[in-house]
Amino acid sequence: MISKNLTAASTKPIILGILKQGNSYGYLIIKKIKELSGGKMEYSDGMLYPVLHRLEKEGLIKSNWTMDGGTRPRKYYEITEQGKTELVTEKVQWQQVNAVLNTLWDVKPSTT
Amino acid sequence: MFNLEKEIIKWLKPFHKQRAFDEGSIHEMEMHLRDHIEDLIAQGLSERDAFQRAVEEFGDVKPLANDEYLNIKRKTTLRSILFRTMLSNYFKTTLRSMMKNPLSSFINIFGLAVAIGACMVTYAFINFDMGIDRFHENKDEVFLSTYVVNREGKEVQYGNAPAPLAEMIRDDFSVIEKVSRVHDGNAVVKYGDNVFHESVRYVDPAFLEMFTFPLKWGATSSLNDMNSIILSEEMSQKYFGDENPVGQEIKVIVGNDLYKVFKVAGVAKEFPKSRIIDFSFLTNIENMKVLYPSFDFHSWKKQLNATFIQVKRPEDLATIKGKMEKYKRYQNEVESDWPISSFDFVSLHDLHLTSDQIKNDISYDASEEGRVALPFIAGFILALACFNYLNIAIVSAAKRLKEIGMRKVIGASKRLIIFQFIAENLLLTFIAGIIGFILAVTIFLPWFAAFSDISSEFDLLDGNMWLTLFSILLFTGIASGVYPAFYISKFQVVKIFKGSVKFGKKNLATKIFLTAQLILTCVGIGFAVIFAQNTYYQENRGWGYGQKEVLYAEVQESSDLEKLKSEMVKEPGVISAAGSKHHLSKRYETTVVHLPNHQYEVHELAVGTNYLETLDVSLKEGRLFNKNQESDKKSLVVNETFVQNLALNQPIGMQVKIDSIPYQIVGVVEDFHFNNFYYELSPTIFTLADEEAHRFLTLKVTDQSKVASYKALLKTWSALFPEKPFNGGFQEDSWVGFYEELDTMQRFTRAIAIVFVLLASLGLYGLIQLNIKGRVREFSIRKTLGAAPGNLTKNVVNQYLIIFGIAIVLGIPAAHVMNTAMLEMMFEDPLPYGYLGSIISAVLLIFVLAAVIAAQVRKLSKANPVEGLKVE
Repeated sequence: MISKNLTAASTKPIILGILKQGNSYGYLIIKKIKELSGGKMEYSDGMLYPVLHRLEKEGLIKSNWTMDGGTRPRKYYEITEQGKTELVTEKVQWQQVNAVLNTLWDVKPSTT
Repeated sequence: MFNLEKEIIKWLKPFHKQRAFDEGSIHEMEMHLRDHIEDLIAQGLSERDAFQRAVEEFGDVKPLANDEYLNIKRKTTLRSILFRTMLSNYFKTTLRSMMKNPLSSFINIFGLAVAIGACMVTYAFINFDMGIDRFHENKDEVFLSTYVVNREGKEVQYGNAPAPLAEMIRDDFSVIEKVSRVHDGNAVVKYGDNVFHESVRYVDPAFLEMFTFPLKWGATSSLNDMNSIILSEEMSQKYFGDENPVGQEIKVIVGNDLYKVFKVAGVAKEFPKSRIIDFSFLTNIENMKVLYPSFDFHSWKKQLNATFIQVKRPEDLATIKGKMEKYKRYQNEVESDWPISSFDFVSLHDLHLTSDQIKNDISYDASEEGRVALPFIAGFILALACFNYLNIAIVSAAKRLKEIGMRKVIGASKRLIIFQFIAENLLLTFIAGIIGFILAVTIFLPWFAAFSDISSEFDLLDGNMWLTLFSILLFTGIASGVYPAFYISKFQVVKIFKGSVKFGKKNLATKIFLTAQLILTCVGIGFAVIFAQNTYYQENRGWGYGQKEVLYAEVQESSDLEKLKSEMVKEPGVISAAGSKHHLSKRYETTVVHLPNHQYEVHELAVGTNYLETLDVSLKEGRLFNKNQESDKKSLVVNETFVQNLALNQPIGMQVKIDSIPYQIVGVVEDFHFNNFYYELSPTIFTLADEEAHRFLTLKVTDQSKVASYKALLKTWSALFPEKPFNGGFQEDSWVGFYEELDTMQRFTRAIAIVFVLLASLGLYGLIQLNIKGRVREFSIRKTLGAAPGNLTKNVVNQYLIIFGIAIVLGIPAAHVMNTAMLEMMFEDPLPYGYLGSIISAVLLIFVLAAVIAAQVRKLSKANPVEGLKVE
């Protein structure tokens, strides 16, 4: 199980990443995260929404209510240009962290 | 049995309680839950299990709310950010619905703007009025000395003061810092060829230290110098133009041998507009001893116009008040008719507003009517505009039902719809507010300032003004929007789309609002009619004596009067001439008449033997004065009011005492108006004056020779007294101020009436126009089926008939009561009320209604029914 803190820290790039693949709404986004993580990320569904709203406020994503053909109205989120730039930055940062960790773990413990 | 819908609603409840979530977020989360449940059911779970699992996975509300709250808190202007999108949407909607019905929007906005403008003018007036005489730095430390006399059970406060009081209290109380007596006298002021009648104010040198009247030229200390005089800016202009007059000499003449030459020692800066106490010529009061040698400053019988004191701390007054017994005794020893019951002090700060209750007061309060009438008028316009708005809003909301339904479907809660409508309303009101403010500044206030003395500028930095404006807007916006908002928000979506909502037709509240609008309309029209009637009545009523063929002149000495009289009686047009000490509309005294069991205050006119005949005062019973001065010295002629007020059965031959001298009533004359119609008739007595006391010459002339006689009078005057400015004229002109004021008031009320009628008619027009527009399809069908314009009219009229009926039945008496109450407040003797005015108002109202309906029906019957039947 991935810890709460780490989950929280990674939510932003994950959401932006999902939205980069196409517009989506809250329920679908969380479903996708669950699928991708194989249920290993410790999430309560509801916690997604404050994050979505925060990203929207920051201008990284935007939303609109859509009603198509007989379904219930849904609030679709869409990544903005600013969001895409942000995603690149995030990606670089995570890769750097990853690189640091990889280097550490590749080094054999000193046997002196 | 598990009910999924109920459970979901229950689950949503705590979300509503959290301020962090707006309606949109809650809706979003509800959709999430529903999607999840649906998925789980599809996977084979039961409704109950699916619900429980979805809720469990969703998590607790509390931490969620906290997270969300952080989002909101991040920006300080949380509301504006939250609602920006929503508000911009509302803004667009508002503008669109405004553009859709430009006429009714114009009526709404214009009506509200006029109402708000009127409120602003009222604010400016009251603000100005409250500021009168409050610019003096020592306004809280300077007090007017007054005394209270018990008159037949009524405490009456007087603003003048016994002459010796000032000097005595200054010496007796250490807490009194400064004292100034104030007395006024008429005089002729002469500088070169400039000779005019003026009023001179005699004061103690402390006057300019107590009152804040800074000087433009010269020094305030010059008041200590007996030979100095200080001029107001206006007088300086009048006599000397733009030049600095300091050092110039002017002559102040109060009688043939009574004059003094003064050196101009100062000129005051222009006085603030909001003042009552001021001066034209200001000089040391000791000069009165030279100019009025007979005035005894040590006599408690003599009164000065005012005595002001200045204390260090206002609290010290209590000490002073407690120790006034001594002066009360002095005064009551000499003036036993009306013993003083106490002395009192009124601060300069409160003087203007209390001066209505103080007799013989140096200040006065001429704006009480304004303080009552203006808020009434402004409130009335505001109410009318609100009802117009309300009724139009209800009808137009009916056209927006689909929009409301749509909003509800996509998740707007009841609260949000209410919010939308009120926000929309506030927006409209604020637009109206801006227009209203512009109207007030550019049109209303300058227009109003031309009528009254108020300053025509708004102080844009006056915080209270903005607060007032803002409160009015907020109140208006909410008051007029709250009902439609709540009413509309209650509709069920399904019914809206089905078209089964019948809006505003059978609803009781709607009918009440409409009736209220019509009643206000009635009152407005009634106002116009009754005030027009009253002005006509006031202008054309008689004064109770022959004011039209009478000339008068005022002189300073009785010898002058004799000269003038002997010349004037030679004129062919002059029928009779009379001298008098007092004169109707010009001068009188108040005297106390003692009857065996009580005493009574009356107006006294001391006149010459044939004065009453010359003025054509009609005799009711008894006789007028004899030609023989001596035989009637102890005779009185009284007026009807005197007889009525004292309930005398046999006035003729009755004995009364004045100043312990017995007099006998020999005649009763019919009532006459001694002062203009703002004043009630007063009990009046005529006595015979010694010829040496005569100051007024009254001439009765033939109607044809009026102008010629006046010219002759002027010519004789300038031949006899080339040094003195003429003081007199047509008796009719003595009320010139009153008629001018009446004319001013007429123009004012006419304008107000036009606004009332305009707003009222516009309101009705907008309402009926909207209503007919809404039924255009129905009318088109009727037309196609052969309905004549008559049928259509009947159809429209039927809808309103009962409401109009009720409104007229209630509105006409309401108008009558309200308007006559207002008239009574303004005139002591207003027009005798008949129902004629009310009938005219009813007819006018029906006429307005008929005109509005006719205009609409005409349009309808001319229109092509095909156009009306087209759908969107």
